[in-house]
Amino acid sequence: MSGYRATPASGPREAAEWSNRRIVAMNLRAIVGRAYPRVIGLTREPSWIFFEILLPFLAVSAFVFVYRALDAPEEFVGFVVLGGAMTAFWLNVVWMMAAQFYWEKDQGNLELYFTAPMHLMSVLAGMAIGGLVMTSSRALAVIGIGSLLYGVSYNVQDPLALVAVFVLTMIPLYGMGMLFASLFLLWGREAFHLAQLLQEPIYLLGGVNFPLRALGPTVAGIVLATLPLGVGLDAMRQVVFPGAAEGILPVGAEMAILAAMGVVFLVGARLALGYLETLARREGRLTLRWQ
Amino acid sequence: MAVIERPATVEGLTIPDAWRSFRTAVGLGWAIESNWSDPFLFAVYTIAKPLAAAMILVVMFNVITQGQGGEFLQFLIVGSALWNVVFGVMGGLVQSILEDRERYRMMKYLVVTPTSLFPILLGRSLARVAVSFVAVILTLAVGVVLLGVELRPNILLLVPATILGLTAVMALGVFIAGWCLQLRQEAWSYPEAIAGALYLVSGAIFPIDVLPTFLHPIAYAIPTTWWLEASRRGLLGHGSPGTIGTLPDLVVLALLVVTTAVVVPLALAGFAWFMRRAREAGLLDMTTGS
Repeated sequence: MSGYRATPASGPREAAEWSNRRIVAMNLRAIVGRAYPRVIGLTREPSWIFFEILLPFLAVSAFVFVYRALDAPEEFVGFVVLGGAMTAFWLNVVWMMAAQFYWEKDQGNLELYFTAPMHLMSVLAGMAIGGLVMTSSRALAVIGIGSLLYGVSYNVQDPLALVAVFVLTMIPLYGMGMLFASLFLLWGREAFHLAQLLQEPIYLLGGVNFPLRALGPTVAGIVLATLPLGVGLDAMRQVVFPGAAEGILPVGAEMAILAAMGVVFLVGARLALGYLETLARREGRLTLRWQ
Repeated sequence: MAVIERPATVEGLTIPDAWRSFRTAVGLGWAIESNWSDPFLFAVYTIAKPLAAAMILVVMFNVITQGQGGEFLQFLIVGSALWNVVFGVMGGLVQSILEDRERYRMMKYLVVTPTSLFPILLGRSLARVAVSFVAVILTLAVGVVLLGVELRPNILLLVPATILGLTAVMALGVFIAGWCLQLRQEAWSYPEAIAGALYLVSGAIFPIDVLPTFLHPIAYAIPTTWWLEASRRGLLGHGSPGTIGTLPDLVVLALLVVTTAVVVPLALAGFAWFMRRAREAGLLDMTTGS
């Protein structure tokens, strides 16, 4: 039996007037409801686990062997393993955040989202929280297996800084996914191709397999201003491999950049969603399949 | 009462029929592949992905060697460029068969027409194969112009290597496409996973000698290893670093012929079996929601 009770209203006006408490409670329920399938999917879709660990792991292994063939110092293997784990988050952001509204439209769920009384930001927040939980397990698996197989050793002297950098990276990363969710929908049929396009070029610009510094000051500067994956990885490597990884900026400065990015992407997502909602109601074509 | 006489014989699929199906499917595949965007964005998409994949390796190489050891860089560029074909073929074949079943839901209609699914499948995927060849050429061009890759083409080696290699890769793609029809979920991930695994064991971007010893027999048994090696020799005039590079050209080509000759009939027989099973089990109009 459902735990939620319907309260009878004396008329339509009363039914439409919600207290702040009710609005907040309903949006929290929407967040939990949208996060639920992703969290519960951890145990109910074993094939997801297989592919989401296997694919980043195959890529990690290939790059590890390239470094071995080049007789690279061992810390580079650690850079690749850490980059591979962060790749799992990026793939989640691209395929299960940015492209998600597009898939929802194809499956006929999007119009239900638009007509339901909760805010669409709650749906996106639920997707992000669920995705974060789901992908964390994959990322930990990639780090665990990669570290065991390739003998990576970590030297985390400040675990709190590591946690802070990770959290500060995830906020703009998933904020970016929220923003892209609206943009991908607006760009219509390009969703699949755009998601594809946001893989290798971003791995290159984000320094997933090598220190960001190797891209040179100009490109690294652009990355610092735009790409949370790159900034977060650069900061994380400095915390996890102190001495071996020379960052573009000190960890504190990169944390400040990540915090600012978080605000920018979340506000951007909110604005894009407002525009999308207006468009959906005015033109009514955003819910048409294959458009 | 009118009586309709049955013709004495019913002709099966003729070559002109198959050609017509193939041609139509090529046009359809190209339209689906390219008309999602304006030509500029499509060009960016075609160029950016493979170039970025190659540039990742170039940056890794430069970080470690400071630009020394051009022969290994050439090995990386050619391997990375050619691997676009494997991703293109496998992704193209699997995606076309799954899209027709799951997204456009046309598979059942295609199967009940008198034509064979095989030429349609090949035609539908050809657009992605063509795009992947563009990616190969662009990556090699960037390698030659910007990174000092020296091409010394040997047509006598390159042409048979390309024909045999493409045949083997297409056969593998057809097999995986048939396999994916049997799957309940995650079929879309299979080409990437299988191409990724082959990438690892084929010596695409590092010499096979670097792999753990237990993977060496697998590496030597698959045609993609010999296709890459023969193509490298056909493009660069020399083989890969390590053991495989010491083999004579004729031995490499012979091994490519043998592995292809084994893979192609097995893959086609597998595809035929998968299709029969898909008909019997009602999988041709199944939608998995994945």
